[in-house]
Amino acid sequence: MKSALSAMFVLATACSTALAQPDAAPRAPGIESSGYVWNQPDPDKDAALAHRPDIEQGKIAYEICQGCHQSDGSGRADAIYPSLAGQHASVLIKQMMDVRAGRRDNPKMHPFVGEWVVSVEEVANIAAYLNQLPISLDNGKGSGNRLERGRELYENDCASCHGKNGEGNATEFYPLVAHQHYAYLYKEAVMIRDGERRNANPKMVIFIRDYSNEDLKAVSDYMSRLTLPAGTRQP
Amino acid sequence: MKHSRMIAAAACAGLLLAASSASAEVVGDLERGKAVAAEVCVACHGADGNSPVPMFPKLAGQHADYALKQLQEFASARRQSDIMKPIVEGLSARDMADAAVFFASQQPSPGQVDDPSMLETGRRVFNEGNPDQGVPACAGCHGQNGVGNARYPRLAGQHPTYVLDQMQQFADGRRTNDKRLMQTIASRLGETETRAVAEYIASLEASK
Ligand code: HEC
Ligand code: HEC
Repeated sequence: MKSALSAMFVLATACSTALAQPDAAPRAPGIESSGYVWNQPDPDKDAALAHRPDIEQGKIAYEICQGCHQSDGSGRADAIYPSLAGQHASVLIKQMMDVRAGRRDNPKMHPFVGEWVVSVEEVANIAAYLNQLPISLDNGKGSGNRLERGRELYENDCASCHGKNGEGNATEFYPLVAHQHYAYLYKEAVMIRDGERRNANPKMVIFIRDYSNEDLKAVSDYMSRLTLPAGTRQP
Repeated sequence: MKHSRMIAAAACAGLLLAASSASAEVVGDLERGKAVAAEVCVACHGADGNSPVPMFPKLAGQHADYALKQLQEFASARRQSDIMKPIVEGLSARDMADAAVFFASQQPSPGQVDDPSMLETGRRVFNEGNPDQGVPACAGCHGQNGVGNARYPRLAGQHPTYVLDQMQQFADGRRTNDKRLMQTIASRLGETETRAVAEYIASLEASK
């Protein structure tokens, strides 16, 4: 009985995949499920991380992304497309693979980064290409009204991972947040607090669990204004 | 202005015709390609690839890699076309490469805009996409001027009727040789925006 049911389930999923709209994205367990382990090993992610990247090939493969993220990787200030230029390659690879696997929901982007479009090697090449692009400095900022509060929060709760200057940490997969668009940072912070960004880091969630929207705005505004001291751009 | 461009084009074509030409990958013989075009393609696509019929695509200036891929996929039925299928069945692999290289060497004629009032909307869609609907800018892949590259086709100056027909085929799943990229875009883009962007494409500078 049980096996008949599961066979039916397999059949049903196979059919629905075959008939699915081109933009139907997969869904894998994330932070909402018990036993979630952040940044768990994954064969595709590990292969991309191990690949010796080719930056020229990355530039070519990135063509498919630039219709949204812009040719200089600067995204859009209105929170729709994040800036990617200068982000750590490890972070970029993890995020792309999480979207492919369905651990981070991004139905708009999914059809353009699926494995039928971008190979594992190309994921690595794109990440290396983006990593060496100059960070765009005219990112969107917040109101500037509560920067002192934002600094206090950031230094207490965020700097330990995202770095004093927002530089993140490539080995630990902590994103660079300096020069990211304010509206995007705020949107993501809210989603991480509320459990909607399903590939989030549970330790970070503990830090921001009790943040009000106002405090998330203040800290996001502060982050968007962080600048990396000369020479520390690619830690 | 127009005159000098024509002379330049003729000079270029002459130069190109002098030797066999190679694009990024496709190697072909221009003289043979010209003969294939004159014999097989002329009725629909024009002798120089500037199709006189709005339903049939202009091929002049199209990247040889892209054109050859389409020919091969008509043959394998990965791209379905009742018109093209019997035609490509009569072509050898060499004919296809030669014709692709020949059309790539030709100067595209200016496109025909049917409704100029749509150009502004079309320009926005082409350069910015529709972020709310998850539509990337066309310019991202096809280039700011719609000239494309070996991987993404040239669009500049194409017939709006043909572009609309292909968008429709992508949207309803009749054309599927696009890694689902254009299927996604065509099914996300509204009817007005699709028409507008087809007009804008026609308005893009015809130079190669
Ligand atoms: C249709 C538009 C679109 C295309 C095309 C697209 N993306 Fe995205 N991408 C987005 C959106 C929207 C987000 C933000 C998702 C969110 O709000 O959580 C995003 C987020 C990302 C992120 C996460 C950044 C971060 O700071 O966490 C990465 C990495 C990324 N995209 C890489 C790529 C790459 C590489 C490509 C090409 C292979 C690509 N994208 C193509 C729309 C797109
Ligand atoms: C324990 C380490 C840690 C701490 C502390 C931490 N973060 Fe994070 N943060 C992360 C990691 C890891 C990610 C990426 C999660 C993933 O893999 O998707 C992240 C992602 C983010 C993002 C999304 C960035 C992007 O590019 O998508 C924002 C915004 C953010 N953190 C804000 C904060 C703020 C604000 C604080 C302090 C209140 C904070 N973080 C504290 C580890 C941390």
